Amino acid sequence: MTLFGICAAISIVGTVLYLFQAGAVWSLITKKLEPVDLIPARRPALPAVSILKPLRGLDDNLFDNLASFCTQNYPEYEILFSLQDHNDPAYKVAKKVQDKFPDKNITIIVERCNAGLNPKVNNLIPAYRKAAHPLVLISDSNVMVDENYLTEITRHTNDPEVGLVSNVISGVGGRSLGAVLENLHLNSFILGSVSFLDRFLGMPCVIGKSMLLKKSDLEALGGLEAFKDILAEDFIIGREMQRAGKKVILSNYLISNVNEYWGIKRFLNRHTRWGKLRWKIGGAKYLSELLANPVFMATLPVLLKGPSRETLSFAAIIGVIKILGDSLLGKKIEASTARTYVHKQSPLIYFLVPVKDIIIGILWFVPLVSSTVGWRGNRYVIGQDSQLSPCTDTGVWSWGYRITDSIRARVA
Amino acid sequence: MMLCDFHIHTNFSDGSLEMRDTIDLFGQAGFDVIAVTDHVVSGDNSIGKFARQFNLSVRGDNFDEYFNAIKEEAKRAWEKYEMLVIPGVEISKNYLSKNKSAHILLLDIKEFIPACMDYEEIFLEAKNQNALTVACHPHHTPDIVNKDTLFLWNNRDKYAKYIDAWEIANRDDVFNVISLKKYPYIANSDFHQARHLYSWKTLLNCEKDVDSVKQCIRHNKGVAITLFRN
Repeated sequence: MTLFGICAAISIVGTVLYLFQAGAVWSLITKKLEPVDLIPARRPALPAVSILKPLRGLDDNLFDNLASFCTQNYPEYEILFSLQDHNDPAYKVAKKVQDKFPDKNITIIVERCNAGLNPKVNNLIPAYRKAAHPLVLISDSNVMVDENYLTEITRHTNDPEVGLVSNVISGVGGRSLGAVLENLHLNSFILGSVSFLDRFLGMPCVIGKSMLLKKSDLEALGGLEAFKDILAEDFIIGREMQRAGKKVILSNYLISNVNEYWGIKRFLNRHTRWGKLRWKIGGAKYLSELLANPVFMATLPVLLKGPSRETLSFAAIIGVIKILGDSLLGKKIEASTARTYVHKQSPLIYFLVPVKDIIIGILWFVPLVSSTVGWRGNRYVIGQDSQLSPCTDTGVWSWGYRITDSIRARVA
Repeated sequence: MMLCDFHIHTNFSDGSLEMRDTIDLFGQAGFDVIAVTDHVVSGDNSIGKFARQFNLSVRGDNFDEYFNAIKEEAKRAWEKYEMLVIPGVEISKNYLSKNKSAHILLLDIKEFIPACMDYEEIFLEAKNQNALTVACHPHHTPDIVNKDTLFLWNNRDKYAKYIDAWEIANRDDVFNVISLKKYPYIANSDFHQARHLYSWKTLLNCEKDVDSVKQCIRHNKGVAITLFRN
């Protein structure tokens, strides 16, 4: 079989897989749940919730993101903004939000915590200790929700078997090239994979942008401290929760992850980091991600063998299918998040889908040779299950260190 | 202290963002006071004519539209973010020689001032309107794209009396000569693109209203600068 034949076969399988992913997303976000009765006298008692918001630096749209949690149509909840120091630019924004909503129960916690190597977990620990309610919601600062969000996600907690509720996320905003690429990828590969794993394989893939859990369940896993040195603490908490016999629910409430002014470098960094996490956690399963990138597989023969009528036509057909699929999904997602964030994207952005997929295809190889990640100003070496260890060597010779480390980790 | 930036461009001149997006970018980041200062270029030379031809300048005929857009956004910014937005312009006198070129911020301007007037007339008209005058990027910069604007610094003995403050830092550049001369100072981003949000800024310790801000800068007490990083 020729190189073109192999790539074409993989690409066709990938396209079918992609269509299943798109179908999973479509069915999840169009699934009609029984509406929650919003009239207080008629609805079942809603549990009080502590919302933990770890803050570090300025995310795009930060003020509105934080404010959206202050306008929840929900009877009892507290918000804990958690920072490591007063000089963080997010402190000023948190303070402004607190001043704007004086009637809400908002606490700003500024406390340095060096419990572990994961800066997000370090940031969460002081807030978690101060959380007053047994139900905690860990929510990233780069997400925006509408006023029904809490009501929608807490509906699942009536079942005592439920240990964790996470959400599907969509990328919105996109006012720069990096942000557009980021949102295209979130709304296609990431959203598709999470929905596909949940729908067809019953496998939880928790993304830490929204995690609702009971303190008692988390304590049974060792509390947040048990995940202080793990980079993908969200995924691992979900996995451990399921192993402990608890249900992990993927809510169909679509959360808006606002990405407006990203540079290309930031997009590349994030997906290299996420790729490394999936490689370290999934191992051989990571190889299947190439399957889920039919555009890249269809383009490979063009790159390796040179352009010909056959290779170019095939790549073009796959590219058009992907553009059409992503644009249809994108429009559906845009309609679903319109209540939260209004910014109409030009349909022309979908012509960037093949470019984005080729970039992601190239990034796919990076985790195979490098185990170091840069995140929030820190550098780490990641091991099995995204276990972190410090990386001190960042000079030109660190490549040797990284390659050695990668080989050592693979052998182990 | 209040986080401030008094040198911001929108797509009314050569900024890349629309007025509303610019205001939101600063509001979402927690700023307390900003000034929108689009370029007013002099039409008396080929550089200025080129800029006006491509709508890279506020002109006499669209000044009201510009001013009203700022006022409208200022109202929205106050209600939503409690952020004070001051209308301003950057008078941009560009010539082939860097020694003849100068840029001047006029903050809290009320009426159009053409850039083709001579310097003294511009300063006097600004005083008439009780606007604050700031000399922008007044000394040498390592920037190879934008030309230096040295006229005011080279002629400081004549013009310093008209200037309320000098930019001691502009985006990534610091002008230590302002410190050595003990001139009143502020620091700004010279914002043109979203990434310029992270740059030198001014911190003010005063009430959040236009008169207090102007007074604080003029007296240069309770003024500090900070390098705003994410």
